[in-house]
Amino acid sequence: MQHLWSLLIVGIVSTLAMPFIDWPWRGVALFLILGSLGGLALLLSSFHRQIAELDRLRAAYNQLDLQAKLVIKTDIELHRTQEELDRRLASLLALHTLGRQLQLSERPDQLFSKLDVQTVANFGFSKGLLGICTGSEAVEWRSLVGLNEPIADRIHKLLVGSGLYAKLMERRDPLLIQASVAPDATQRQLLQLLDVPMAVLARITPAAGPSGLLVLGRAGSAITAKADEELVAILSNQLSATIANSALYESAWNAQQELERKVQQRTHELADANEELIRLNKAKSNFVSAVSHELRTPLAAIKGYASLLNNGQFGELLPPQKERLGKIEKHSDLLTQFINNLLDIARIESGRVTMERRAISLDEFLMTLQDIIRPQMDAKHINYIVERNGLTHIFGDSQHLHRVFMNLMSNAIKYTPENGEIRFGFARDKTDKDKITMSIADNGCGIPPDDLPKLFQEFYRSADPINQQVRGTGLGLALVKRIVEAHQGKIWVTSERGKGSTFFVSLPADGGVTA
Amino acid sequence: MAAVGSSSAADPTRAGKEAALAAASKCAAGEPRLAIVFASSWFDQTTLVKAISEVLEGVPLVGASTSGEILESGPVSHTCLVVLLASKTMRWTTGFAEKLDQAPRKAGQQVAYMASKSFPLPQRIGFLFFGDGLSVRYSEVLSGIQEVLGTNSIMVGAMAGDDQRFSHTYQYHGGQVITGGIVGVLFGGQGSFGIGIEHGFAPISKPRRVTRSSANKLIELDRKPAASVYEEYLGADVLSRMRLEGVTRQSLAYPLGIQAEGSNQFLLRNVVAFKDDGSLSCSGEVIEGSWMQLMISSRSLGQEAARRAAQKAIQTVPKPACVLVFSSFARMKLQGPAAMAAEVAAIRQVIGRETPIAGFYSYAEQASSDDAALQNRVAMQTGSVLVLAIGP
Repeated sequence: MQHLWSLLIVGIVSTLAMPFIDWPWRGVALFLILGSLGGLALLLSSFHRQIAELDRLRAAYNQLDLQAKLVIKTDIELHRTQEELDRRLASLLALHTLGRQLQLSERPDQLFSKLDVQTVANFGFSKGLLGICTGSEAVEWRSLVGLNEPIADRIHKLLVGSGLYAKLMERRDPLLIQASVAPDATQRQLLQLLDVPMAVLARITPAAGPSGLLVLGRAGSAITAKADEELVAILSNQLSATIANSALYESAWNAQQELERKVQQRTHELADANEELIRLNKAKSNFVSAVSHELRTPLAAIKGYASLLNNGQFGELLPPQKERLGKIEKHSDLLTQFINNLLDIARIESGRVTMERRAISLDEFLMTLQDIIRPQMDAKHINYIVERNGLTHIFGDSQHLHRVFMNLMSNAIKYTPENGEIRFGFARDKTDKDKITMSIADNGCGIPPDDLPKLFQEFYRSADPINQQVRGTGLGLALVKRIVEAHQGKIWVTSERGKGSTFFVSLPADGGVTA
Repeated sequence: MAAVGSSSAADPTRAGKEAALAAASKCAAGEPRLAIVFASSWFDQTTLVKAISEVLEGVPLVGASTSGEILESGPVSHTCLVVLLASKTMRWTTGFAEKLDQAPRKAGQQVAYMASKSFPLPQRIGFLFFGDGLSVRYSEVLSGIQEVLGTNSIMVGAMAGDDQRFSHTYQYHGGQVITGGIVGVLFGGQGSFGIGIEHGFAPISKPRRVTRSSANKLIELDRKPAASVYEEYLGADVLSRMRLEGVTRQSLAYPLGIQAEGSNQFLLRNVVAFKDDGSLSCSGEVIEGSWMQLMISSRSLGQEAARRAAQKAIQTVPKPACVLVFSSFARMKLQGPAAMAAEVAAIRQVIGRETPIAGFYSYAEQASSDDAALQNRVAMQTGSVLVLAIGP
């Protein structure tokens, strides 16, 4: 190329020199001019080729730029998709985290304070409000993120004043407000107060517990607005469900607490009543004991004098007089027995009587008992059967146990019909080998079921005709029970109407009792 | 030796104490110590720093609020992080300056002077600083620092964040919290800084000349409104959305790259606002006459950049006592936590398992360039990952 330029310069110089030179130099110059003209033609051709090359390069460059634009547009689409996916993933993680944070054991109203900075940020928002509805259109903000109370109150006033609050409470879905889609004046004002271009508002309406209002806002891309709306819907539903569960939990908890409180209260009352009863019972025993002592002395005198009179110590008596004195004696005996029973019960209850714990020969025990009851049984032709089951001894206080079985046996005889049967059984307890159970079974009329629980109560007398014929104190079985219990024993009765009754006495079989 | 303690407790006092105690329990108390604190802006800053200072009584403290924190495991948020350095052979003195935006050069001079005036040793390793992430006039700040420390000093810094609220960032010095300022710590003695800074973005558009600009405001490219480049490549609808929404994933995904004169390196500038007149507010200064191109990146390029930055950092300091990582918030916003965790893992792979790692997501990164054409000039980057290895 440089040679072509040199040739061109030589040609120009030759042309300029032409007027000043002669032949043959003029011919040389002419040759050089022609040569340079040829070079110029070549140079022009080269320029043309270079320009064409440049045009081609420019076209390729522009083509690459177009491709770059295409790459960017594709990249934007990818970014959009990625952003939405990231948003949804982050939201799911945030929901999961929030789910773990929301404890059922917390009170429903406390859950409204759980929207903190981290939770709001995890959901991809920068502003957050969570309020509890305290009345008609009244909201008490419990969580404020990125906003202060005056702004939150202004938001509340705006929502209520514009009627948006009422509409929100009727909406099932959250309300998405975006600056980019030309919202109305209220919505624009709301976004200004929140200082964000996008906000989502949702009601919280749990099946149980307080309802509320959730407001979330953020700056940044509107691409994921739909995902935000869905997220807030899920979030408000989750909050509603948690609040409802919490309310139910609280209700169940309160009910349980109330129940426990009542149980405790009743237990206290029962304990107090029991203490009072014990105190009253003791007072009663003391009273009875004191009164009985005071009664026995004059009663002994009455009975003694009556006996002397009746025996003719003070002169012969007329038959009616004798008859009346006999009645005085009889009733005095009954009264003495009554007083003795009362005294015994009082003594046992007050712990003033100690039961001896001695081995009692069953032979001797039965013999003594039979000596007393045999005449009565014979009079009614009662078949008396003793089933010892190999036992030779029982343990306890001979005198008191004698009283027990004497009483039970007398009752049995009383209720057993002529030619009836009485079974006196002794057996080692099947479930507890350290106990001996004694039973007295008759085949009398039986005891009415209503009377069974009251049989061992003091002064209770059955209303059956047989019992009504015999005078009694109503203290016999009560005393029997006290004596048995003073032996750490137990007494109970089973009965069937028309078939008879069985009284069971279970007593400790202090070691060494052999079969 | 270095130790890192962290806490994500919601209460600032508890978070500060927990993080400081965790770091202190792993770091010998017999040696001179320095505390570097990075904490979420969601914490009450004064309460947090007070709690840390109470635990680390007498230990010099510098630090900054963040837009996310970096732990060994990867990115975290709403966390307080205390890095405790202890060394018998290294020394450090700290400084701070306020009103960065009003008098940037003066602030640079102040922070450098305060840190250097009582420095006990002749050998200086480098100057680490944390500035307000919302200030943009960092070329003047750096000039101010260099006027005091000299142009050959190694300088590295990260700009404080506020969890992308772009309202106030905070800087910590001793038990004090300042906003809109700069704090710095001058290192000296036996040791060195290893620095690597990369962004992993590549140019994709035609180069355009900056025909009109002012500070961080890019007004015209090739005598056309600067925003037209985005309209041309991204489309009018995307541009209108970006104009409305401010800093979005789109604007971060396609930053502008300034090609340094005579260098192949690009300094990134994120667009933080699209103005109605077609001008752009950038995350750093834009010099008139420079060439700019639209940039693009990918997750794999980003991870590769982190790996390269770590490799560069340990070229100077093969066995660092501690590695600080300052990654742009834009990377986090753009690529997400999973990619950021992979980025930290890539750095960890390069520097080894033993060295503690800590850092934060910043609004801008500053480091001396390793490009010979830039003659070791400190340049502000955005969208980059900066790895600083501190060690013997």
